Amino acid sequence: MRSKTAKKVLSAVVTVAMLAGLMCGCGSSGGSGSYPEKGISVICPWAAGGGTDACLRAFCEAMGKDLGVTLTVDNQTGGGGILGHQAIADAEPDGYTIGMITFELATYEKLGTSELTWEDYDPLCRVNTDAATVTVNAEWAAANNITDLASYIDYCKAHPGEVQMGGSSNASVWHIAGGYLMQETGIDIQMITYQEGAATAVQNAASGFIQGVTVSLAEARSFIESGHLICLGVMDEERNASFPDVPTCKEQGYDITYFTQRGMAIPKNVDPEIKARLEEACAAAAEDPDFIEFMNNNGQTISYMNSEDYTAFLQQSAADVASAMDALGL
Amino acid sequence: MDFGLLFDSYFAVWLNPQVLFMTLLGACGGVLLGAIPGMTATMGVALLIPFSFGMDLIPSIGLLLGIYCGGMYGGSISAILIHAPGTPSAAATLLDGYPMSQKGEAGRALSVAMFSSFCGGVIGALVMTFLSPLVADMAMNFGPGEMFMLAVFGLSVIIAISGKSIVKGLISAFFGMALCTVGLDPTNGIPRFISYKQTGLLDGFQFIPTLIGLFAVAEVISGVERIISGEEKQEKSSEKIKKVLPDLSTIKKIWPNILSGGLIGTFIGAIPGAGGDIAVFVSYGASKSASKHPELYGTGIPNGVAATESANNGCSGGAMIPLLSLGVPGDSVTAILLGAFIMKGITPGPMMYISELPTVYKVFAALMLANLCMLIVGCCGVRFFAKIVSVEKKLLYPIILVISLLGAYSINKNVFDVGVCVAFGVIGWLMNKYEFPLSPILLALILGPMCEKNFVRFMNIQQGNFMAIFQSPIAVVFMAIAVAVIIFSVFNQRKINKRMAGASASDE
Repeated sequence: MRSKTAKKVLSAVVTVAMLAGLMCGCGSSGGSGSYPEKGISVICPWAAGGGTDACLRAFCEAMGKDLGVTLTVDNQTGGGGILGHQAIADAEPDGYTIGMITFELATYEKLGTSELTWEDYDPLCRVNTDAATVTVNAEWAAANNITDLASYIDYCKAHPGEVQMGGSSNASVWHIAGGYLMQETGIDIQMITYQEGAATAVQNAASGFIQGVTVSLAEARSFIESGHLICLGVMDEERNASFPDVPTCKEQGYDITYFTQRGMAIPKNVDPEIKARLEEACAAAAEDPDFIEFMNNNGQTISYMNSEDYTAFLQQSAADVASAMDALGL
Repeated sequence: MDFGLLFDSYFAVWLNPQVLFMTLLGACGGVLLGAIPGMTATMGVALLIPFSFGMDLIPSIGLLLGIYCGGMYGGSISAILIHAPGTPSAAATLLDGYPMSQKGEAGRALSVAMFSSFCGGVIGALVMTFLSPLVADMAMNFGPGEMFMLAVFGLSVIIAISGKSIVKGLISAFFGMALCTVGLDPTNGIPRFISYKQTGLLDGFQFIPTLIGLFAVAEVISGVERIISGEEKQEKSSEKIKKVLPDLSTIKKIWPNILSGGLIGTFIGAIPGAGGDIAVFVSYGASKSASKHPELYGTGIPNGVAATESANNGCSGGAMIPLLSLGVPGDSVTAILLGAFIMKGITPGPMMYISELPTVYKVFAALMLANLCMLIVGCCGVRFFAKIVSVEKKLLYPIILVISLLGAYSINKNVFDVGVCVAFGVIGWLMNKYEFPLSPILLALILGPMCEKNFVRFMNIQQGNFMAIFQSPIAVVFMAIAVAVIIFSVFNQRKINKRMAGASASDE
């Protein structure tokens, strides 16, 4: 008796699984011209569930609407993003494998961890930027009369090497942002690395183990709202829409802008027509209302740039990153 | 504590058909994913996040918590049946779970694991409901120094899981510690034992492929060896599973282990950066030390299974505490849950208890529901899972091998990890042959990096003054416990070895 039930259950499970398989096959129909004829694989160099992954999944959903095919995100992680970045550069240039490149690409050559640079890709568009901040422990700031960026810098100058700021893992964007801050203002602070990510750095700063962090507003948000941390300045051109009260560094007289960036790219030697079609889809995706809503909820800033501007931007940022890394001795 | 509101929230969540369905679905998926080595609850949650975009907050949180709780239990199924922990948090369950299954008590082991998981989960959820602010304050006080000492305390359990010989246990542990030093160092990114060209080892030996290799692949190699030499005896499922829940006499024996396991799990889970994988070993060590018959641990007694399974499910409640009250995730699953909250426009953190209290209470209710769903799924599954033991070994081993290698690959989609997995399979097989315990390697792999990065960070912040550690009461307490545990376990081990000489093995 029982084995009969078991067989029935098994056959039901198998049927459902096969149906699900069929359904996955659907959805790849339509589209303009001959490209794309099938689903596109999108390489994400960072783990599922992280900031890059979330942004990329939402963007792919939006690109899929324009292209009429399914874009499947494939997380190829490891080696600080090197493995995934390498996989994008090495992919078959047929337009069916694309990927997201991130800020860290600019650091590999300088660190000596990989020979990859932005020149190994054909950039499609910039999708998102998140600015670094100068965010400090509120109690510590009050005890030392630090109320704005100027008083923070004065304090750091009076106490060289004493102020400790957390900035995510070694050679990560927030770590290098600290180096950039030192280079631009001439202060001497100690950057503490947090290999496990920004969350621990933020918690340590809120508890007073270190004096502050350079991470993005989104990452420090809950402790800024609770009053444990105060953000003295955001390293952006304009104020963040979600934090209209937080001033930029620029409006306080320090021309410091520094942000992480994420964009779409394809390997070299892709057919120009296919590239043009993908660029079109990227432009449409950046305007997609669902994508915009998602990014706003997620606290990430959309800062679309087309292929040409993004290429120039990557070139400029490679030089900036290299000089900031010098300041940190990386 | 607003009991009226809490009651209303439970009512609203538990009687909502959509939430019920989603949570049950999540628990089903979680148990299955957890049972497959290499597929973790973290992966399940990450993959299902996009599907929850269209849903309301509570059904989607129910789905994700279902996977989380289900996965915590699911890991024990393969640990008990095939000596391959499905998730890192089930790594200590096989210490007693697998011997039980070899004795022909697979069904009993599974039901003990399920019952303990449920109770541990309930303890975690209760602590979360009533003591969140208190526990969150404690978690805030954990800085680099405290984390370092917590890791040292965790390492002190090594003797308790070493088996017969302390020396062999220490050799295993130091081998594990040595493995941790491969790759880029966590503080400055300096390559150790590798060149930059070896991209597969930049992050060192990946934990899950190593885990799968040491246990599952090694077991397959030993099994094949036994088949060739004709020693393999096919276990008939002679065990009649009358009840899917453990009987009263078993529950009477294991309840102290469940209670302490649940509390240890909740406490350790609440510390950001420390999770189920550490809690299970600490709980196992604590149960063994407190037991009147420590010599029976490792021979297949339900107490060992109860101690570990209650601890890893207790963790789920514990890890939710810093997530909701500080906005700091306690482990990798809650890190993804944090994203799920933010996408719905709610930022977990100190302000959530003020501005979103009804939502907080609904999450409490959803976690309780998720544990109940896990129990239901587990009850339905025990009979089926236990059948795996009676599958002919010649068919079972190739299947385990394929699933293991797939699991090792799927973590990073990196073929190099498959090689790592196979290599550790051979190492594990050799160590088994010469009776070196494998668990100390795992504990070292889990705690080594945590020890190192927190120690270096602490020394950086204190400008090289290690004595500053004595200014932290938490760190001093952990240090004292660690020393006490080491002294106690050495004496305990001597007693065990004496008794082992004569004693006959039976349930405690």
